[in-house]
Amino acid sequence: MRDFTDGSADTGMTTHPVAEMYAAEHKAGKLDRREFLVRSTALGLSAAAAYSLIGASPALADGHRAVPAAGGTLRIQSEVRALKDPRTYDWSQMANVTRGFLEYLIQYNNDGTFEGVLLESWEANDDATVYTLNLRQGITWNNGDAFTAEDVAANVTGWCDSTVEGNSMATRMGGLVDADTGVIREGGVEIVDDYTVRVTFPAPDITLVPGLADYPAAVQHRDFIGTNPADHGVGTGAYEITEYEVGVQATLSRKEGHTYWRDTYLDELVFVDLGQDPAAWFAGAEADEFDMTYETVGEFVDLFDAIGWNRTEVITAATVVVRPNQNNAPYDDVRVRRAIQMAVDNEVCMVLGINGQGVVAENHHVCPIHPEYAELPPLVHDPAGAQALLEESGHADFEFELVSIDDDYRKNTTDAVAAQLRDAGFNVTRTIIPGSTFWNDWTTYPFSSTNWNHRELGVQVLNLAYRSGVPWNESGFANEEFDTLLTEANGIVDADARRVVMARLEAIMQEEGVTLQPYWRSLFNHTRPGVVNGHMHTKFEINVHYLGFEA
Amino acid sequence: MGAFILRRTGVMILTALCLTLVVFFLTNLFPNLEKLAKTQGNARMSDAEVVSWLDRNGYGGPMLVRYGEWLGVMPGWTREDAETGVITGRCIDFGMDAADAPVRCGLLQGDLGFSTVSDEDVGNVLPRRLMLTLKLMAYAFGLMVPAALLIGVLAGMREGSRLDRTLSTLSIASTATPEYVSGVIFIVLFASTTAGVSGMLTEWGWLGDGGWLGDRRTLFLGSARSAMTDITFWNFTLPVTTIALYGMGYIARMTRASMAEVMTAQYIRTARLKGVSFRNIVLKHALRNALIAPFTVIMLQFPWLLTGVVIVETLFNYNGFGWTMVQAASNNDIELLLACSIVAVFVVLLTQLISDIGYVFLNPRIRIS
Repeated sequence: MRDFTDGSADTGMTTHPVAEMYAAEHKAGKLDRREFLVRSTALGLSAAAAYSLIGASPALADGHRAVPAAGGTLRIQSEVRALKDPRTYDWSQMANVTRGFLEYLIQYNNDGTFEGVLLESWEANDDATVYTLNLRQGITWNNGDAFTAEDVAANVTGWCDSTVEGNSMATRMGGLVDADTGVIREGGVEIVDDYTVRVTFPAPDITLVPGLADYPAAVQHRDFIGTNPADHGVGTGAYEITEYEVGVQATLSRKEGHTYWRDTYLDELVFVDLGQDPAAWFAGAEADEFDMTYETVGEFVDLFDAIGWNRTEVITAATVVVRPNQNNAPYDDVRVRRAIQMAVDNEVCMVLGINGQGVVAENHHVCPIHPEYAELPPLVHDPAGAQALLEESGHADFEFELVSIDDDYRKNTTDAVAAQLRDAGFNVTRTIIPGSTFWNDWTTYPFSSTNWNHRELGVQVLNLAYRSGVPWNESGFANEEFDTLLTEANGIVDADARRVVMARLEAIMQEEGVTLQPYWRSLFNHTRPGVVNGHMHTKFEINVHYLGFEA
Repeated sequence: MGAFILRRTGVMILTALCLTLVVFFLTNLFPNLEKLAKTQGNARMSDAEVVSWLDRNGYGGPMLVRYGEWLGVMPGWTREDAETGVITGRCIDFGMDAADAPVRCGLLQGDLGFSTVSDEDVGNVLPRRLMLTLKLMAYAFGLMVPAALLIGVLAGMREGSRLDRTLSTLSIASTATPEYVSGVIFIVLFASTTAGVSGMLTEWGWLGDGGWLGDRRTLFLGSARSAMTDITFWNFTLPVTTIALYGMGYIARMTRASMAEVMTAQYIRTARLKGVSFRNIVLKHALRNALIAPFTVIMLQFPWLLTGVVIVETLFNYNGFGWTMVQAASNNDIELLLACSIVAVFVVLLTQLISDIGYVFLNPRIRIS
């Protein structure tokens, strides 16, 4: 590999031939800046190097963040859930607390770039089967041990262990997991030297980097893989848990006697749990219980604005799907599923569901901000056609039961879908299930709505949710052509080439009427004036090391 | 008397047994266990993973045996991992050697079990939360009882007067307004920057920066979280008033009825005819006899307040006993719920016992046999 960035601010970083190609594409106008950044940083370029390839300067100063004043206690409204083995985390809130001491190899930024945290840099080979991870040197664990390649290898091995219940990292590791044994395949991870680790996939895989940046990928000490971090408290970060009362609050304080490898500002952070009701959060804000919301939803965005808090917004690939489950009649009939899609105007769902705070989507769960997004002909809203199609299928008398969780936007969106279906002549009953029990059967409800978080690449969510037989396949979709094409797309580094396959994948999603996916959500949060770096993150990440107050 | 207390204690234990068995049965229905597994394991676990999780964590055996384990009459479950050979069990704490662990660990051994939602021993969680609720109830009682008695006596001393009608109407209105209504009304009126009086006060400069009522933005706080560490007039008034108001009307009505009855008694008439002043009749002759009936009512308010705190603590985000019960129920936290029900049985029957015994002392005509 040729060193491309020699002489730039980031000496020593190597670029990737494909990244050079991306840069050419970007300059030719075929690739917008965000897409270019996502793709080239996923291949191992630092954000600065990527920017330099296209002759641009980064939008923000070094590290993309403002520098707050040192000291202070910041209170964040966030659910405080019982901690467990990070691999099995199912809530970003858990990771936000442990991020104070359990850091990540790589982080994902709002501008679509990947940035090394515990990694100095990483490179992929030409066909994206071999990744070389270069560790940042001079990092120590707070028990005094040095952070070395052994830690990384132990974590990768742990992430690939699909025999651990609820280990969602195993899905993210893809081909590294041996399908027969359920653990890491032989030779999957090698320690090259103290600060270099090589990961080898059997087939091309471009989702490793986003997977490493995801919230269950917290890096534990090599001796504590599979344990609850709250029990041992060993990590590389600057903080330690000094108080943890589930459902009430958690406190992180700066760890005495531990030298953190970079600057950090706050002395103490408090995570204040005010339950799941946004009205309670608002009451808490008025009663001065916290300085920053985890997320602000729906009408509360305007309410928080009204009391003088600062709003931050990020457009994401987070969404709600209202999906029929094809294992249940009559949803096994493609005509019924198509009829559902035709009967619903996605824009109406967006306006009624989230006050129009988002972008209209096209029922294929690939977002325009995904690099491989292919534009398809616009959807047709045709209630009359839907009714005709439903009658043709012979299910016109069927009583459709549409299930949703009892909350704000998911319930409203599902209500909007139900209302439009009724207008088109469907016989619909709505069932609303409380949040505490909804998730018991979320993959098996015959017809229900589910929220999906943002993912960095279009193929990722298709792999998680629509491949035949995967655990989170809630639509019961099983299509051989789709699976084959998806496997093919997973190995195409070149985004234009991948887009060709992607166009077909998106078309299959629409033709098969797999899911009703009306919009992409913008995410908001609010901070009290004076809070620095409390910007909403695409993936609900809060990195406590960056937070602080204005001087 | 001794036999009476003994018998009551027996009834208390029997009731607690029955209630916990019912709670145990309901929380151990399979859908509830499934919910537990998913909240503890992973929200998106598959069915096979759920079964394996339940089995591994000791929820697999017959229900009655597990109830026995919880009581401490049956040996706690143990399980050896087939691959690693590590022995886990009900009585083996994190990091403890299996050989050192006790055989039984249940209620009889003083072990209330483990709260899955709090990730802590129930014995640690519950006292802390009960303490908070005790504070809330103490303040609520301190406000409710004197105010209710005063209203009741004032209303009852001249039955049918304008004062009586006014106070009676007020007490009926307060009894007819449940906590979830009055609490919300209070929050809107006194603890919102956009509605109610706070906006006006801020405009006048009474609130906000440099205001003489404090630099808060609202008159009272709509969230009692800060009261958990530091009770102030501004953060505790709304929850206390919300609880007190509901019970106040009821006690006042009882006191009024009792007072009105006493005021028509022969000896009061005699006192009047003798020329005793009205003030002395009320304070020296009527009051003592009129307060016997409200005493029982007041004692019975205790268990009933337990339901009140569930709503108020959730509404005002005060993490006490009531809030804990809601959390435990919605997360199917079996052992925490069981401990909560024991506390509830204890509170109900103990206050009844006190009220029965107290009644004997207040009213010499009653004998306990």
